[in-house]
Amino acid sequence: MSREHEKGMSLIVKTITRLTVGIIFLYGIYIVLHGHVTPGGGFAGGVIIALSFIHLMLAYGRQEAFKRLSRAAASVFESFGAIMFLGIALLGFVGGYFFLNFLPKGEPFRLFSAGIIPLCNIAICFKVGAGIFAIFVALVLLKLDLGKK
Amino acid sequence: MVVYLLCLVMFCLGIYCVVRKRNVIKLIIGVIILEYAVNLFFILVAYRKDGRAPIFAADQTVTNMVDPLPQALVLTSIVIGLAVTALLVGIAMRIYEKYGTFDITKIKELKG
Repeated sequence: MSREHEKGMSLIVKTITRLTVGIIFLYGIYIVLHGHVTPGGGFAGGVIIALSFIHLMLAYGRQEAFKRLSRAAASVFESFGAIMFLGIALLGFVGGYFFLNFLPKGEPFRLFSAGIIPLCNIAICFKVGAGIFAIFVALVLLKLDLGKK
Repeated sequence: MVVYLLCLVMFCLGIYCVVRKRNVIKLIIGVIILEYAVNLFFILVAYRKDGRAPIFAADQTVTNMVDPLPQALVLTSIVIGLAVTALLVGIAMRIYEKYGTFDITKIKELKG
């Protein structure tokens, strides 16, 4: 992101972004929630969700994206994903062992099935989405600090 | 067999890029090519003739699936490759900040 793009790109890019960024975000949520019945899962969906925020940052500039998801919030979400995954794994000790699938399995190939696996997908989605957004923000901020010298 | 040899050719191209090129960005691209050559090799090893994707759907018989284990490993490998690439790019940016160049032959002297 160079200096003239500090305040975002042209009007055309902004309009198209405003129309598409919500659809990209919803598609990421869809991929995460259907991760146990179709191809996809926590990582792929998390990357798509992070890309929607990166798209916003490229089109509208830093401030607009930080209004939606600040750096502190990204850090909190990343830690929350890790703790949620570990908590789900530790809750298996209720029934006996680590990573025990303690929820009812349900009927195969339905949305509400497979026990704890959708919850694990959601935890991975938080971790990956916030992590990739944080990597992008770190690289952009490093470059901006460089330009000040 | 030919596809495995092509994988080896791609791996050698990556090695050449890492050893021969002088720009740090090109070195990083060489590392990425190495990673992808190894990933492609794993996926090709897992392929079975006329196999279909290893996804268990509602009304499908479990015959002729490709091997799902290397695919899971390669997914993990892609994630690690992403993190490694981000780290390498961060180091390259620090090098540019310190020496003002991406050429590795010009950053041999210890400066400030």
